[in-house]
Amino acid sequence: MDLREKLNILGDAAKYDVSCSSSGSKRNSPKGGMGCGHSSGICHTWSADGRCISLLKVLFSNACKYDCAYCVNRRSNDIPRATFTPKELINLTLEFYRRNYIEGLFLSSAVIGTPDYTMELLIKVAKELRLVHHFGGYIHLKAIPGASSRLLFEAGLYADRSSVNIEIPSDKQLQYLAPEKNFASIYRPMNFLAERKLEYKADKSKYSPKFLPAGQSTQMIVGASGETDFQILTLSAGFYKQQQMKRVYFSGYVPINADKRLPVITTKPPLLREHRLYQADWLMRFYKFEYNEILDEKNPFLDPDLDPKVMWALRHPECFPVDLQTADYEMILRVPGIGVRSAQLIVSGRRYNKIRLEHLKKMGVVLKRAKYFIYNNEVPRELHKLYPEMIRPLLIAGKPKSDQLDLFDTMPTALPAPSTAALPAPAPFIQPTKRAPLAPNLFRGDRVHK
Amino acid sequence: MSLAIHYDSTFDGFLSAVFEIYRQHLDVISFVAERTYEAEHQTATDIFTQPFHIETSEESARRLKRAIVNAASKDVLNLLETCFRSEDAGIEMNILAYLRKLFAGIDPNYGRNPSSLEMIPLITIARSVRREMDNMYGMVRFNKAPDGMYIAEIEPKYDILEMIIGHFRCRYPNGTWAIIDVKRGFGVYYENYKTHFVTVPDPSYISAHAPPDEFTRMWKSYYDTMAIKERLNPRLLRRCLPVRYWKHLPERSLTSFSNERVGETRPQLPSAAAKSNAVASIESSSRLTRPERASLHP
Repeated sequence: MDLREKLNILGDAAKYDVSCSSSGSKRNSPKGGMGCGHSSGICHTWSADGRCISLLKVLFSNACKYDCAYCVNRRSNDIPRATFTPKELINLTLEFYRRNYIEGLFLSSAVIGTPDYTMELLIKVAKELRLVHHFGGYIHLKAIPGASSRLLFEAGLYADRSSVNIEIPSDKQLQYLAPEKNFASIYRPMNFLAERKLEYKADKSKYSPKFLPAGQSTQMIVGASGETDFQILTLSAGFYKQQQMKRVYFSGYVPINADKRLPVITTKPPLLREHRLYQADWLMRFYKFEYNEILDEKNPFLDPDLDPKVMWALRHPECFPVDLQTADYEMILRVPGIGVRSAQLIVSGRRYNKIRLEHLKKMGVVLKRAKYFIYNNEVPRELHKLYPEMIRPLLIAGKPKSDQLDLFDTMPTALPAPSTAALPAPAPFIQPTKRAPLAPNLFRGDRVHK
Repeated sequence: MSLAIHYDSTFDGFLSAVFEIYRQHLDVISFVAERTYEAEHQTATDIFTQPFHIETSEESARRLKRAIVNAASKDVLNLLETCFRSEDAGIEMNILAYLRKLFAGIDPNYGRNPSSLEMIPLITIARSVRREMDNMYGMVRFNKAPDGMYIAEIEPKYDILEMIIGHFRCRYPNGTWAIIDVKRGFGVYYENYKTHFVTVPDPSYISAHAPPDEFTRMWKSYYDTMAIKERLNPRLLRRCLPVRYWKHLPERSLTSFSNERVGETRPQLPSAAAKSNAVASIESSSRLTRPERASLHP
């Protein structure tokens, strides 16, 4: 079997792993070698399904001894099997890197022999890249569940990021679908790596060796077993807090195996649900939302029609309208249609001039959504008297243009019937007062958070 | 009569022009950069405006830079330079409008205000220039020439080649490589830890000098396997990876190799004459440094 064929088989086997980022590491180019980390990560290309490719994502081998129902490489599948030699893989990585095709290597593997033996092979590749070839590019090593702590630690010394995939968001379902795995066996390496990283972080000397500078990540399959969005978000919020994860990825389940434990093979991947989950994830990572603000036990699923930020705003009419001139940065971030950049611009610019609609337009604020939630002289007051049930249909995309509310109309001409399902008791918007109703403003908007 | 200012398309040239506008109280209606690769757009003349050429003077550019740093900050100067690299039509007038307000001295805090009506568009333009720069970090594709040199051709929308050199110097400190901006006809050549700016009159020689090799084709077939068929999304692909980049990305521009066996069709090696031409053009052009383009990393 020649190298190209191997690369195709092992690349194909690895493509369901969605982790793509190459961020978080600022490694310098080692002496006599090449390659450096770029702290915000670099996407090198995008595949035809619109996912970015930044690392050479391959398995070391796909000859797995496990039989997980959701996995393409399970031992009961009849697919071509291949295994790299370390030399082949290293050469391939270096040649691709020299041509600037990739940002580094993402190395995972099926379990061959024992987990320890597999882990040793992965470490061997990373170690040789770093020590023999003085490679400074990004290396993402999978931690094989069940590998010993000694090996996990060694992997952390050479890799920039490590990950263990939880795949199924509940223990019971996981044991049902993957008989060889359980939550404990997945949490153990995560916790071990998180603790070691904390220890290394405490030692701030610039000469101390690096240990997983880009932290850990994990991924969950969405739609293979019957979890709610609330369960998934709760779990991922826990990962961000306790295991200090840098990213939690969601992967809409693509039916690859016919198995009576899984959805039928003709199921379409739940792309919209995945998209909404990522939006919720962004709210937690960049918009200072808590997971239980986005969803709760009564509303366990994200709304397919509207994004989670709008949904939060509609459930909390008492917080709006927000006066951009005086409100806290955190509150401005929560206004639908205003992103992190615009919020920072507003907060740092409002000291010097009043923020008018003209400014907002030029900043790129989506006034189509934001106008219902901000207090501004130029926004007609009637807009603020609308009930959430009235705003909801106005916000839903795909509506015919003629029904769109014009900014300078006095009142919407035809109001659709209010739908009371899934919404709390209607509460009118509080009339704007001089100050924003929430969060007393101490510094008059001097705070810019990054 | 209103003037249409002509200058030599460098940032220093633009600053010298602004300096002269202030010194001579000129009534400006438009700025025209003298770019070789856009010559056809500049032929249109207007009977109501008078062309007026301003020579670049390092001294006046330096003075104006100092004035901007004093009135606003170093960050603002950098931002203006980044905007200038967008080469957008009318960007000079936008910057001039900002500078006029800045130097008018009506609002002492004007230089610190990021949300003035003149500043917000500049911030937006600078953002898209930086985005192009970030994209280019990932989308420069080197081909290996037989002599071990790595050559890449790029065609960025904005003039960002000088902004990305530092990244590649840090990444490949020991190699020999060249990145050529095909659209603007100049490039950078790195050898022995030094960068040289070179003019490249005919880039096609150079691409013939470094054809795609076996690794390029492995990359292409790897790229093709990475797409999940059930999730194909051409719209998303075009949004993330605009079509204008495809020409210089082997994974999008090469035809698929999936049906053909390895080694059956070797890429056409350039003829000996073309090869020696290419080498000669690189060697000769490496001596032609572009003095008007000051390196970002002196």
